[in-house]
Amino acid sequence: MKKYQKMLLGLVVVASIATGCKKNKEELNEEELITTVQLKFTETGTTNVSTFTFRDIDGDGGNAPTAFDNIVLAPGKTYDMAIELKDESKTPAVDITDEVKEEGDEHQFYFVVSAANVTISNLNNDANGLPLGTTARWVTGDASTGTVKVVLKHKPGGIKAAGDPITKGETDIELNFNIRVQ
Amino acid sequence: MVTKTNSQIQRPKKAWRGIAKTALLLLAGMLWQLVAMAQCILSIAGTVTDEDTKQPLSAATITIIETGEKGVTDAEGRFLLKGICPGNYTVKVTHNQCRPVQMHVHVQKDVQLSFVMPHTVNELQEVTVVAAANTKSGAIGAELKGKEMDATRGQSLAEALQRLSGVTMLQTGTNIAKPVIHGLHSNRVLMLNNGIRQEGQQWGSEHAPEIDPFIANRLTVIKGASTLRYGADAIGGVVLVEPKLLRYQPGIGGEISTGFFSNNRQAFMSGMIEGNAKKHPAFSWRVQGTFKRGGNARTPNYWLANSGMQEMNFSTAAGWKKPNKGLELFYSQFNTKLGIFSGAHIGNVTDLMNIINNGQPPAYVTDAPFTYNIDRPNQQIQHHLAKAKAFVKTGTNSRLNAIVSYQYNWRREYDIKRFSSSSNAPQLDISLQTVGADVVWDHYAGKQIRGSVGVQSSYQLNSYSQRFFIPNYQAINAGVFAIEKYSHKQFAAELGVRYDVRSIFDINRNNGRTYYDRNYGSLSANGGASYHLNDWLTAAINLSTAWRAPQVNELYSDGLHHGSARIEKGNPNLNPERANSVMLSLNVQRKNWQAEVVWYHKQINDFIFLRPTFPPQLTIRGAFPTFLYDQTNARISGVDFSSQYAFNSHIAWQLKASFVRAFDKKANDWIIQMPADRFENALTYQFADGKRWKDPFIKLQWQWVLEQTRVPATGDIEVTLPNGSKQMASDYAAPPAAYHLLGMEAGITQTIGKKPVKWLLTGSNLLNTVYRDYMNAFRYYADEMGINIAFKVQVPIGK
Repeated sequence: MKKYQKMLLGLVVVASIATGCKKNKEELNEEELITTVQLKFTETGTTNVSTFTFRDIDGDGGNAPTAFDNIVLAPGKTYDMAIELKDESKTPAVDITDEVKEEGDEHQFYFVVSAANVTISNLNNDANGLPLGTTARWVTGDASTGTVKVVLKHKPGGIKAAGDPITKGETDIELNFNIRVQ
Repeated sequence: MVTKTNSQIQRPKKAWRGIAKTALLLLAGMLWQLVAMAQCILSIAGTVTDEDTKQPLSAATITIIETGEKGVTDAEGRFLLKGICPGNYTVKVTHNQCRPVQMHVHVQKDVQLSFVMPHTVNELQEVTVVAAANTKSGAIGAELKGKEMDATRGQSLAEALQRLSGVTMLQTGTNIAKPVIHGLHSNRVLMLNNGIRQEGQQWGSEHAPEIDPFIANRLTVIKGASTLRYGADAIGGVVLVEPKLLRYQPGIGGEISTGFFSNNRQAFMSGMIEGNAKKHPAFSWRVQGTFKRGGNARTPNYWLANSGMQEMNFSTAAGWKKPNKGLELFYSQFNTKLGIFSGAHIGNVTDLMNIINNGQPPAYVTDAPFTYNIDRPNQQIQHHLAKAKAFVKTGTNSRLNAIVSYQYNWRREYDIKRFSSSSNAPQLDISLQTVGADVVWDHYAGKQIRGSVGVQSSYQLNSYSQRFFIPNYQAINAGVFAIEKYSHKQFAAELGVRYDVRSIFDINRNNGRTYYDRNYGSLSANGGASYHLNDWLTAAINLSTAWRAPQVNELYSDGLHHGSARIEKGNPNLNPERANSVMLSLNVQRKNWQAEVVWYHKQINDFIFLRPTFPPQLTIRGAFPTFLYDQTNARISGVDFSSQYAFNSHIAWQLKASFVRAFDKKANDWIIQMPADRFENALTYQFADGKRWKDPFIKLQWQWVLEQTRVPATGDIEVTLPNGSKQMASDYAAPPAAYHLLGMEAGITQTIGKKPVKWLLTGSNLLNTVYRDYMNAFRYYADEMGINIAFKVQVPIGK
């Protein structure tokens, strides 16, 4: 019995040393905040650029977004669209687009058009050849109004696969832009 | 011997015969005595303590009714009766200020008994030890100890407490659970860990109490604000986590408790060792530690990805006690890492509606295999408690107690990283430090009146880094109270008053934004009375008015709760809430039937709650419903019922039921998130004791939880139905259906090397029923745990 008592005492002492005040110095880094989404449209064959922005500097909650533009495009045109993501809560602002591209195998943009005469295609691919969508081609038809929902999904742990529905993964961005083709 | 010598001298011839005769007689006598001694050399020793103060009772008389032998306890509450023959006895303990207590004892070897005396002067009655615990003079509550407590080993504090009627559980997944008393929880339930008010981060429903239930041998719940000793803000109730008193008899002893749960393959081991040296009888010590580790839990159909947990706790205690003064030091540390089910990590309302309308988590979540690894998201919590308690006797029956304590609570929450290159730092990092000092004087005035007066104070410092949830702040709490109890014959009454102040200052966000200071102060009072209508029926009433100052989260929180897909906003203009309540209880103590029914009714003015507002707030992830802390007048009433009926010495039937009705008087509607009605039945079969085993039993349990139908019909949350149509509702999903669960327990105490080793087999959700519980925040995402079989052993060590 004595032996067991000593063993138990030892165990408890070891446990207390192992757990006692183990306060790791962790890097104190604010998490990335996506405050700003910019859709940059370049009319093909020209250098005409128009940019539409969503901006919520203080992130979720707090103050309301300061910018949520309507997308206005000309009818019967083809545009190369590129998305830029920024964290403008920091100075200088941090560009997050590159991180999404680098980890493209865990991210995917979706574009859901309703009512407007717009066709979105040619999404760029990630390293595995699956759609990423940081760039895409937008083709407009006749004058119309409607919405385009821009959704960024996070799919960690290798779950991204071909033909994923929009419901898969965790939503990082979901913005329902009003669009006018005029 | 003298006779022998004489006969030798006087009658030498007959002497031999005489000598032989005498010797024979002597021998026979000695033999007879030896045999008799072999039988009647046993002892009954033990202690007598006051049920309320937990202090030893001196001058209590211990009588063995069958033999008439008597003993009296010393200043330390100890007694010793020697020369007891083996057999069955009835031991009766009397004290001039207590109701007598009786116990049946089977003596085969030296016996240690501990008596807990209920403090009410009364006429002679036969009251069993267990039953007597239920009738405190004013406070109404319930206790978990002994066999019931053993059956909960390895489970969390909230899981253990929900065995008591009127206590339910608020869960966030399988790992995070906190007790709910009469529908109230978090800041409205006060937890006392070894006499110290637990200052963890009680503001979130996803913040479980940072307490190792293994430090306790008894859990007590005091319902409502029926005691003011611990604070005025316990509108829901008080939970006392009480370790047993330090060892006073010389020697070293302890216990190892270990077990395994089949569902999440959780193993636990807890050890306790304590001692007292013969050379220094005033000095006692104890060391205790617990280790727990479990992997992913399993619903009947799939593993809950990332739902593992681990826990490592220890505590040490040392006491020095003289009849007139004493000192006790205590330190404990609690460490846990809790996995958060990854299927509950969602980005926005669309994700949430997708999962709810789908009915099950997506396949890539349910396909996850079993693992012990805990990935993000998870919580890591550390809690330290250091305490020093001293007392001096200020008279025969009164003493002055002083307690100082320090607590450090460190909570880190790790979300899924947005990019693998993102920092490994937690998204939420809050630490809360609390220093407390109490002085309490327990006293007697004559035979009939006793009470406590005291001062309690604390200082708090909260600081955060990373994501904003609640601001940094400092707070000072102070309270004075006086509680007096009067008892005379069948009647006992209690009256208490308390005044508290709370001041929150230096409130700021790390970005420099500061907030207004807040100061509150108010009076609380309670009065209770109990009356023994006859020798088996007791009625009690308790009236109280108590208040609670708004907490920092209710005043100043501002942020997105991902798991519940909503934005919570504090309201700096909140007033304290005031609860006026009445409780009635009726207690039956018959030989084969024990029952208690408690009815309560609370009017809570300025009841603080989260009110959904419309329209929802736009964020980069879409629109989120915003919940604002608001106040209303609430009415909460209900009934707790528990009963045990013994058909014979083998079969007993237990029934527990609890009902809560919570109504918002301003909105004229039900209050959301209240526990549904529930019934628990248990049938126990107690087998006869054997030569080497004791107390074998088997128990079948059946729990029936109804669907919560008392929820607001409409609300400000826009819900997308599976067919795509939209509807305004008070919640994202309707309350889940009613469910039935079957459980069992079987146990036996085996004597191995003179030590009682307790074996226990328990099973919950035996039919592997698929169900969801309304009080689990993750009911949106996944089913509850399936069948879970546990095997547990408790081995005493030393002596």
